[in-house]
Amino acid sequence: MARASQQMTRGAYAFWVMVFFVIVFGVVAALYYATRKVDYVWRWYRVPQYFLYKEKAEVRSEIQGRVQDVVRNGDNVLIRVTGDEQTAQYTVPAKDIRVDAGDTVYPGDVLGVFQRWKVGILMQGLWLTLKVSLISIMLGIVIGLIAGLARISSNPALKWSAVTYVEIIRGSPLLVQIFIWYFVLGTVINTLLAKNGMMQLPPLWYGVASLAFFCGAYVAEIVRAGIQSIHRGQMEAARSLGMSYPQAMRHVILPQALRRILPPLAGQFISLIKDSSLLGIIAVRELTKATREVVTTSLQPFELWFMCALLYLVLTFGLSMFVQYLERRTAVS
Amino acid sequence: MITVDKVSKTFHAPHEVKALQDVSCRVAKGEVVVIIGPSGSGKSTLLRCLNRLEHADTGHIYIDGVDILDRKTNINKVRAEVGMVFQSFNLFPHKTVLENVTLAQLVVRKRSPREARDKAMALLEKVGIPDKAAVYPDRLSGGQQQRVAIARALAMDPKVMLFDEPTSALDPEMIGEVLDVMKNLAREGMTMVVVTHEMGFAREVADRVIFMDQGRIVEEGTPEHFFTNPTHNRTKLFLSQIL
Repeated sequence: MARASQQMTRGAYAFWVMVFFVIVFGVVAALYYATRKVDYVWRWYRVPQYFLYKEKAEVRSEIQGRVQDVVRNGDNVLIRVTGDEQTAQYTVPAKDIRVDAGDTVYPGDVLGVFQRWKVGILMQGLWLTLKVSLISIMLGIVIGLIAGLARISSNPALKWSAVTYVEIIRGSPLLVQIFIWYFVLGTVINTLLAKNGMMQLPPLWYGVASLAFFCGAYVAEIVRAGIQSIHRGQMEAARSLGMSYPQAMRHVILPQALRRILPPLAGQFISLIKDSSLLGIIAVRELTKATREVVTTSLQPFELWFMCALLYLVLTFGLSMFVQYLERRTAVS
Repeated sequence: MITVDKVSKTFHAPHEVKALQDVSCRVAKGEVVVIIGPSGSGKSTLLRCLNRLEHADTGHIYIDGVDILDRKTNINKVRAEVGMVFQSFNLFPHKTVLENVTLAQLVVRKRSPREARDKAMALLEKVGIPDKAAVYPDRLSGGQQQRVAIARALAMDPKVMLFDEPTSALDPEMIGEVLDVMKNLAREGMTMVVVTHEMGFAREVADRVIFMDQGRIVEEGTPEHFFTNPTHNRTKLFLSQIL
């Protein structure tokens, strides 16, 4: 079906597949050559530590006293310290014990040392980006659906509100919107919350709100176009059976429209994942902000920014695959 | 059953068309009325006014005694009692044949899934395609789709059935199967209003034929009167062109 307009022999097809791989190889080779040419010492081996690293941890005594006994208990060791007035117990992994029974210890003395795995800052950033994006996408769908339906309503209050919302949000920079959400709305809301003795909302929430409303404006237009692309006869058939407008929307129009708008929605969501990189300006440590921080401490911008791009690619590609799966699953027969 | 009283309707976009001008007619219970006329004569508009898919500008329309143009009338209730079959079928492509027939029963009539299913299967049996219950509409021929559409409308137990050129979009060899279903329906005493170009159907099944031109009812009468000695010149001309 896809190549109805273009017939190709098998040999020609294989040839052009080859051409594709040659192009990919060429680009990769050129990139590699370029990195060799840059006067820069590549230290890729230093990148993994920002994902996962071993942290050295020390267990220190909190009281002054004598070590009563050191008892092995599987991989751990139980150390009991008896002071003049109090006793304390410490459980330490058995690898590196620095005291014996009978030793005298003072507060701050090291009893044992061990190592443990810690999640690095890039991994944390990646997780936060994923979380922020997914929540914003879900809220964006809800907002977009409501705004899209309002957009095609015959009620001028609903319709014009939706148009105004869409035009303002689409027409202004996301950066400015994030600033307004956090520094203007955020200040007002947090002041009100403080007056009523409630917890302050962290910047993350305002970031999510700005992204969700930003995404919602685009989703609204996509939803509107999707609904309008469904043949008028579908609505007429549903209404002629006695369904109300909301019932017809829910059971007949939206299921068909949603299937049709999946591809443009996927594009919008990919865009949103990348837009979340702006949240760094309100101190949300997502992937881009995390990368920037690591770059300042490690002075290895090239590896880290490449890595950052790669991680975004992983997220967006994953999303893209998921939407394609949805498309296949919802395809009729 | 249906009373149309001095109904007018004008379309403004894209340019002004007086689709209906002071149209009045009645349809009795159990009657089969066929509306014919050249294209643009307002016959489809009249039919669509009967369940308010088009809103008449002036006049009154009563379905089973209910004034459907009254602001206070719940139009969804009226529509549930008035089945409609479209030229382009308008089956729901994302639902199977069975789901097409059960959907409105579940949503509008609030029947139990079991009851709706039994009803749907009985109707699919009646229109002759029970074996297609589980497939999607795009797997069916035009004739089969239109029969499903009729079953879908009948599932609401309507008091009146409206047919808007039900065979115009069909290949010639499929027209018969749809007309047979409609003939059976007429024989069972269903009140029907049919807009069609099938003169054979009109002659055989109709109790009354209405001829419309330029938004007005030009002539109405029994099929014999209509096809053997029409009074108006406009009717004669139309019949001579199509017969």
